Amino acid sequence: MIDRMSAWPRRRVLAGMVGATAALGAPAILRAAPSGKPVRVGGTLSLTGFLAQTAVIHKIAAEIMVEEINGRNGFLGRPVEYVLLDDQSKPEVARSLYEKLITVDKVDLIQGPYATAPILAAMGVAQRYGKVIIQSSMGIPKMQTYDMAFPATPFGPEPQKTYPNVILDAMASLPTPPKTIVILTSKFPSAQFMAQGMREESGKRGVNVVLYLEYESGNRDFGAIAARVKEANADFLWVGSLGLESNQLLEALRKLDYTPKNSFHLYPAPGPLALSPDGKNALCSTFLEPAEPFMSRPGVARQAAAYKERATKANLPYAIIDAQAAGMISEWQILEAGVNGAKSLEDKAIAAFLKKNTVDTIYGTLRFDGLYNHGNAEQLIKQVQGGEWKVVWPTKYAAPGVKLIGS
Amino acid sequence: MTNANGLPKLAAVLGIAVFAILPTAGLPAFYESFFYLVFFWVSLSTSWALLSGFAGYFSLGHAAFFGVGMYTTATLTTKFEVPFLATIPAAAALAALLGIGIGAVVFRVRRLRGELFALLTLAVTFVIATIILNTPIDGGAGVFMISVPMPAIMSSQTGTIYVLGFAMCVLTLAIAWWVAHSRLGMGLFAIHDDEDVAEAKGVPTFRYKIVAFALSAGIAGAVGGIHAMYVGFLTVGGTFELTVPLYVVLMSVLGGSRHWFGPAVGATVITALLYAFISGGEAMIGRALVGAILIIAILWLPDGVVPAVQKWLRRQRVAGAGASATAMPAELVPVELAPTKPVGQRNILEARTVTKRFGGLQALDGVDLDVREGEILGLVGPNGSGKTTLINVISGHFPLTSGTIAVDGVQIGHLPAHEIAGRGVARTYQIPRPFANMTVLDNVTLAATFGGPARPAAEMRDEAVHWIGFTGLAGKEAALPAELNLHERKFLELARALAARPKLLLLDEVLSGLNPAEIDNAIRLVRAIRAQGATIVFVEHLMRAVVELSDRVAVLNEGKLFALGAPRDVMRDPRVISIYLGKAYAA
Repeated sequence: MIDRMSAWPRRRVLAGMVGATAALGAPAILRAAPSGKPVRVGGTLSLTGFLAQTAVIHKIAAEIMVEEINGRNGFLGRPVEYVLLDDQSKPEVARSLYEKLITVDKVDLIQGPYATAPILAAMGVAQRYGKVIIQSSMGIPKMQTYDMAFPATPFGPEPQKTYPNVILDAMASLPTPPKTIVILTSKFPSAQFMAQGMREESGKRGVNVVLYLEYESGNRDFGAIAARVKEANADFLWVGSLGLESNQLLEALRKLDYTPKNSFHLYPAPGPLALSPDGKNALCSTFLEPAEPFMSRPGVARQAAAYKERATKANLPYAIIDAQAAGMISEWQILEAGVNGAKSLEDKAIAAFLKKNTVDTIYGTLRFDGLYNHGNAEQLIKQVQGGEWKVVWPTKYAAPGVKLIGS
Repeated sequence: MTNANGLPKLAAVLGIAVFAILPTAGLPAFYESFFYLVFFWVSLSTSWALLSGFAGYFSLGHAAFFGVGMYTTATLTTKFEVPFLATIPAAAALAALLGIGIGAVVFRVRRLRGELFALLTLAVTFVIATIILNTPIDGGAGVFMISVPMPAIMSSQTGTIYVLGFAMCVLTLAIAWWVAHSRLGMGLFAIHDDEDVAEAKGVPTFRYKIVAFALSAGIAGAVGGIHAMYVGFLTVGGTFELTVPLYVVLMSVLGGSRHWFGPAVGATVITALLYAFISGGEAMIGRALVGAILIIAILWLPDGVVPAVQKWLRRQRVAGAGASATAMPAELVPVELAPTKPVGQRNILEARTVTKRFGGLQALDGVDLDVREGEILGLVGPNGSGKTTLINVISGHFPLTSGTIAVDGVQIGHLPAHEIAGRGVARTYQIPRPFANMTVLDNVTLAATFGGPARPAAEMRDEAVHWIGFTGLAGKEAALPAELNLHERKFLELARALAARPKLLLLDEVLSGLNPAEIDNAIRLVRAIRAQGATIVFVEHLMRAVVELSDRVAVLNEGKLFALGAPRDVMRDPRVISIYLGKAYAA
């Protein structure tokens, strides 16, 4: 039984590798070029407004994937056309544009937007019109109540329970595991959601929460918060931060001559934190980094190179593929697998296929048969080491020679 | 003429009918959503204009009232299971109460106007957002409304939202139209141009601003309540973001924030422009282009699209009517003198130990003064003697420090200026202060409406026309004050004061700045006014006019009543000559 179970994935992986090699290695002339009326896939991204800086990452990733898919067989032999609209970072605009895509433009399929509020707005429209919607950036899975909505990022159905334990497992592996923790979080829904889970799971595992603080999203002055963190002087600092908040907090702590013993940052700006001296040994959540073993997954090296080239050309400050770009790549991989698997552009058929099958993505093999259509939780931990992000936990995802560094 | 007037009404009825039946036309849902968003912005920007456009209290805090409405509906529906529709009045009421509460404090402080009011309303937004963020109302997690049932007004959810947005929009525009064409609107427009003068002309400025604030905030709250259901997931950051008031301001200014329909035009244009550039490939260029269009439009049409169109149409009409319709300059001899009535023995004004201090400065120091019915009392004195201050305390512009003032036997010393105006006291200003954005006719009609006895609107307009003619401004009815010369603006001041049918008319240096011919004309005019039965107190430096016009002269010096008596006696008084010209002349 054990042999048969282990043999099956091996065969599948081998078959997949052979297939991928054949597809990618064969001369273009031998591949079936998609033809006929394009399959139109509609979606919005926040190309203007306050989410624009992140949405452009998704746009680049989507363009790479559309070219990649059209370089193969398109969807069912037809070329894929991405009908991308700008939702201006406003959920009400996102809602109206998905209605436009479905009822006016009459696209064949849709892709999800970026960020929780636009996703929820789009999800309502998808539900009313029975469309499959795949999204990669909704950090609160329980809000995904529509049965034809699928996550492209492996948060798992209850990340507020699972991910804190990944972090606490990593901390427990240190020579001197933390006994006390300070939890700070932005009052941003998905960050706050994770912080509350962290507080609960820390308590269950006997790590004493000596300070729990929430600050307003967009806060820039961390002086008073830093003073309280220093006063608490816990073994571990967990920060539910967004963007540059982590840099600002660590800078405020430095001004107080205080360096946290160990610190974790939920959704920081990866480039600035890695490059800042304050970010030394900082920990962060991730699903993928451009290193082994991730680069060995089929297509990832090529996608990472393409992303770097285009992101550099677009003058993005951090032109390295990470979980944001990977999320959009995963969305398209899932849609492609759904269409091919169902051999149909019918949403119900695609949804049915996805619920019953796994899909190989940039994040590894994902499944959608759990609560809220989620599969396994695959959140990882990366750490700034030598000015670069390195995946350190779980250890099986760490590159050779890379280890978690504690205080 | 009747047909031309009926055309807009017919267009409005047809427009309402077409939009009302649109959801039954089987159009794709996107159009319902798009029009809903147009209605949303029309309602929001029009509600902003009710206070900020009409009354000139520029607010950057509209997101606060809109947000209170959104969270009222979200809280009542998700936590207390109140049916969605029942939450809309609650959303409106709560937002209106917030507006009234803020107004009740802020509108009492004279210095909180202009940019200070804008900043204060912005601060209120942050305070409200902080409260909602840090309480169970939101707490940071957001409010997800997916489980709230939508009433089945129409067969589809988008159809129902459309109908609600449309109804709100029609209601908002109806309110805006009514306000703009009512006594309230006239008062608000006057407040916009010069609040102190509006108060002195009888406009109950505090009450009107509170009403406008309540209407503005209440509509924004109701709009927010409906929009909560449209958005479905509320976050504090998304609800109270600065783009809401900025869009609202931009839309109102573009369309014309002083016109009831201006914000609707601006909102429609901007929403349509934003949807014209939604393609992913042109998003940034599109936004830049929209910005450029708006900048150009605002630079070229500073008053907004609707007033600009109205102005153009007016010019076209005038051109069509030919040169005969061109207004002629004001006649210099406007009136024929009626026989002067004798001065009565009854006192119209009784001032007793009137004192006014500004910090350490004693502007008036125990002034006792009676003015008799039908009398012209000249009020003279050197600069800084307290003449204008006395006019200001009698008219209520400054509150009394101590003492009493009675008009026709009624104590008015501690009444607000608009109530004093209502009791028959009218005044003019040394430097004319007409309502700059109102025509000559509207300026005078406002004074008749708020200062004089209650009459039908048409009668007040007729009265305004009469006084405009009386002061020699016939033919200038449609002109704006900026189109008048100084002489005409001074006479406009007089026309406004006369239109209130005052018992007591306070004229503050009405002759200053006029040439000799204009002075002679003005003197005749003042006599004519007195001949109508008015009692006049006039502050003047021109001694010839004082002697010619006054029955008695009161001299103020250093805030005290220095001399009082017949003009020639007072002017010969060595003490008076001394304070005017120095002791050498007095000797």
